[in-house]
Amino acid sequence: MTKPSGTGQPEPPATSSSGASSLVTTFFDRPLPLYLSAAIFRLVFLLYGLWQDANSPVKYTDIDYLVFTDAARFVSQGQSPYERETYRYTPVLAWLLLPTAHVTGNRILDVAFFSFGKVLFAISDLVAGWLLEKVLAKSMDAPRARKFATIWLLNPMVATISTRGSSEGLLGVLVMALLWAVLERRVTLAGLLLGFSVHFKIYPFIYAPAIVWWMDNERMSPNKTKPTSLSSKPPFLTAKILNFITPPRLQLALISLTTFSTLNIAMYLIYGTPFLQETYLHHVTRLDHRHNFSPYNTQLYLSSSLPLSSSSSFRIEKLAFLPQLLLSTVFIPLVTAKKSLPTSMLAQTFAFVTFNKVCTSQYFLWYMVLLPLYLPQSSFVKNKKFGLAALVLWVVAQGAWLQQGFELEFLGNSTYLPGLWLASLAFFGVNCWILGVIIGDMR
Amino acid sequence: MRERITFVQKEGDSIEPTALKVDGNGLKGPEVKAVREDRLTFALDELPAELKALLEGVNQLHVRWVSPVAYEAVSPLLARLPPGFHLFYTPGSDASINPCPLLTKAFGLDSCSSPSDSFTTLPTDRFTHSTTHQFYQPLPSLKAFAHFARSLLCPPGSPSSCSSRLGSLTAASQLDLSYDTISHTLRLTSLWPYSPQSLSASLLSPTIRTEIGILSQTSPKTLEPHEIGISGLLTVLGQSTTPSPTLFSFPSRHRDSSSSFQAHFLPPTGLHPTLQLSISSPSPPAKSPTEETCRLHGYFTLPKTLFPDRHQLNDPLFLSSKNLTAVRYITPGIDLEAPEYVTSTWGSALLLELAPPHSSSGKEWTAEIPLHLRYLPPSLTGYQKAEVPYPALFWACTAEEGTKFPGNPFEKDRVGYDGLFGERTVFWHLNPSPADGKLVNTVKVPVLNLEKADWVGTVTGAVVVAGFAWVVIKLLGVVVMGGKKVGEDKKKKQ
Repeated sequence: MTKPSGTGQPEPPATSSSGASSLVTTFFDRPLPLYLSAAIFRLVFLLYGLWQDANSPVKYTDIDYLVFTDAARFVSQGQSPYERETYRYTPVLAWLLLPTAHVTGNRILDVAFFSFGKVLFAISDLVAGWLLEKVLAKSMDAPRARKFATIWLLNPMVATISTRGSSEGLLGVLVMALLWAVLERRVTLAGLLLGFSVHFKIYPFIYAPAIVWWMDNERMSPNKTKPTSLSSKPPFLTAKILNFITPPRLQLALISLTTFSTLNIAMYLIYGTPFLQETYLHHVTRLDHRHNFSPYNTQLYLSSSLPLSSSSSFRIEKLAFLPQLLLSTVFIPLVTAKKSLPTSMLAQTFAFVTFNKVCTSQYFLWYMVLLPLYLPQSSFVKNKKFGLAALVLWVVAQGAWLQQGFELEFLGNSTYLPGLWLASLAFFGVNCWILGVIIGDMR
Repeated sequence: MRERITFVQKEGDSIEPTALKVDGNGLKGPEVKAVREDRLTFALDELPAELKALLEGVNQLHVRWVSPVAYEAVSPLLARLPPGFHLFYTPGSDASINPCPLLTKAFGLDSCSSPSDSFTTLPTDRFTHSTTHQFYQPLPSLKAFAHFARSLLCPPGSPSSCSSRLGSLTAASQLDLSYDTISHTLRLTSLWPYSPQSLSASLLSPTIRTEIGILSQTSPKTLEPHEIGISGLLTVLGQSTTPSPTLFSFPSRHRDSSSSFQAHFLPPTGLHPTLQLSISSPSPPAKSPTEETCRLHGYFTLPKTLFPDRHQLNDPLFLSSKNLTAVRYITPGIDLEAPEYVTSTWGSALLLELAPPHSSSGKEWTAEIPLHLRYLPPSLTGYQKAEVPYPALFWACTAEEGTKFPGNPFEKDRVGYDGLFGERTVFWHLNPSPADGKLVNTVKVPVLNLEKADWVGTVTGAVVVAGFAWVVIKLLGVVVMGGKKVGEDKKKKQ
């Protein structure tokens, strides 16, 4: 292999004393080793999963993947994906997975076709990682950027989730692409991605205010010199508003809204009410009573079981959206988006997931993809002990909840109160503290 | 109105006609071990107005009640269902007619509100002999029905035997109510378990034609393989004082496989209990003339407290690890997420084909059925009970081409699973033999403990507000510090 010619002089050969560190350096020097190992990593997981599925009654494949592929099968037969119960996604996902419904009669080929979705999700992981590197490289050299992208690319949790066939990896690549497009000032592409992501999974709408706020004149047209009068004299409110409405902002709003509505109208015309019901309205009407990490969970179970007559009494969970949306769509973007858009998006996602009425471990992937963008400047990395303590706290709180959940789910002990409830509150507390640290790092 | 009372003894047992005393009011005889079946047949006009109005509006209505107390059955009265109250129903042209209020009053039901809310629909495209709707609920006793029947059939002035006979319904092991528009008659059939009892029968009312039979199975050489033979004594009260001997044969759908089984939940049950069936033999019934076509099936009626996941029961590898072959029928549209307290339909029916091990030795073996509990309402102890009825287990064997099953005098149809098989299927039943004599298993379901729930709302609210406040304070810190920084920068520049 040829050495990069840009450096001008050949690198010294690795000596036995610095072997380990130089090995690490060479690993990150060029993109190939990292991406090749990330791909092999996923391939091993994928093949192992196929083996486990074929040989064990306990399946590696996520139940959701069976839902997607069943839906894709319905689509391939000219039916609606919503024929499959619990399919709560956009039809686009079922369309994307159409190859999984292809049957050739050859067993090995059929397994390969059926695994298409997992391959797609795994490739999405790699592309998300590559975009991560590109975004990171704006503020550091490429090897260091790759080092931080490794947190995502060689993360066993990420690899497991996508090779088990969960579609969260697709969201990762969409969000990363959105961020990259914004930072590259590719407003049309950003609008398309934003509209599509929100159609795909609703939650990326929280990024809209941050992106819009970030897109000020200074950033979008850096060539023009700023009128000096603005900083000396506070302008009138109307002028402020007029200043706020800039062509790029209008363009983003218009394109994202058009994309979002076009997709929804098209899906509604094709699949009718089930599309609206399953993809969107379900989230309004669902009871969210099954145990999950959310601090509201116990309260939701309690109130869902009460007779309707007592519904007039005050119910805290009815207001749950308030702290969640205030933080993730107003306060955090307003305060932090202009300081660091990636970190703002991370903090927004973190707040959205932490304060959500439902919280499962798949949601953690939503912010995990943004984490490598924040870590380089974070107090968690600057002070390694502090970072480790935070990680341990996060894992321990989750572990406590999982232990209580295991007792409930598999041993049949009534751990809802107080165990599971306190564990979810503790986990919520830890998450709020971490969120506070992330925000504090933006001073 | 007419009545038929039948005592069925086991094969080989019989009674001498001289041991019986018959007169216009009844029959008296010695104590024998037998099953007793009483069948009352009503013409529509003989029914009270409320019941008549309901039946005139329906196409088919079949109630099948089975006691949760294990009982011994005798051929040919062998048809079995899971214990509880079953309803198989086809509405008439007016679909708004609701049988629930009357059935609730008659049987003391608590979860039948209307066909659209509580019933599930059955496939009618498979075979023509099934009804369109199904309903089930656990019902441990016929107390309410005995009371209801007495108020209906024993008006003031009836003989005391009327009231006492209907009172004995509480000891019955099965009860059937059958109505369809073709016969235009309502049949009430009750069955008492095989036990020592005196051969006595009295009139419900002097105006009723009452036929009494004392029968047992017999196996004459002329019998076709799918037939059973019956011999014994028959008499009609008021027409003769000496019972006359009789001998007849007919093809029977429900036979005895001479195997038995038990069902229990594997501990710990958690939220995903596994029902284990322990079956005495893996071999198909040796007596079946078409042994090679026999497949072992389990028919389950699962109340809404728990459900089978048809997607989980789809994987051949998973199924064979549980000694199951395939799901042959499952109630469509079962919600896999909703808690019990917002689920209005009764639950789900499941027909599973089991996979007995291939060994020729007649060893006991097991099959496991994975189930999933719904969330139940909170309680003061942190636990609730979910009662799960025993399934009906049988070998379904296809009789030879051309075999007909014309109505037999003891035919029991509309038992749920018969509508899922072809017309030529014979059901060879396995005898449920629970160790505790109860055909119901109980699962302890963990639920939210209301005793500890007083502070949940308040504390949850407080913690969320505190978390929110903490994040807002950190944000304010950024704003304030950011302002300072800008100030410092300005100072530096100046």
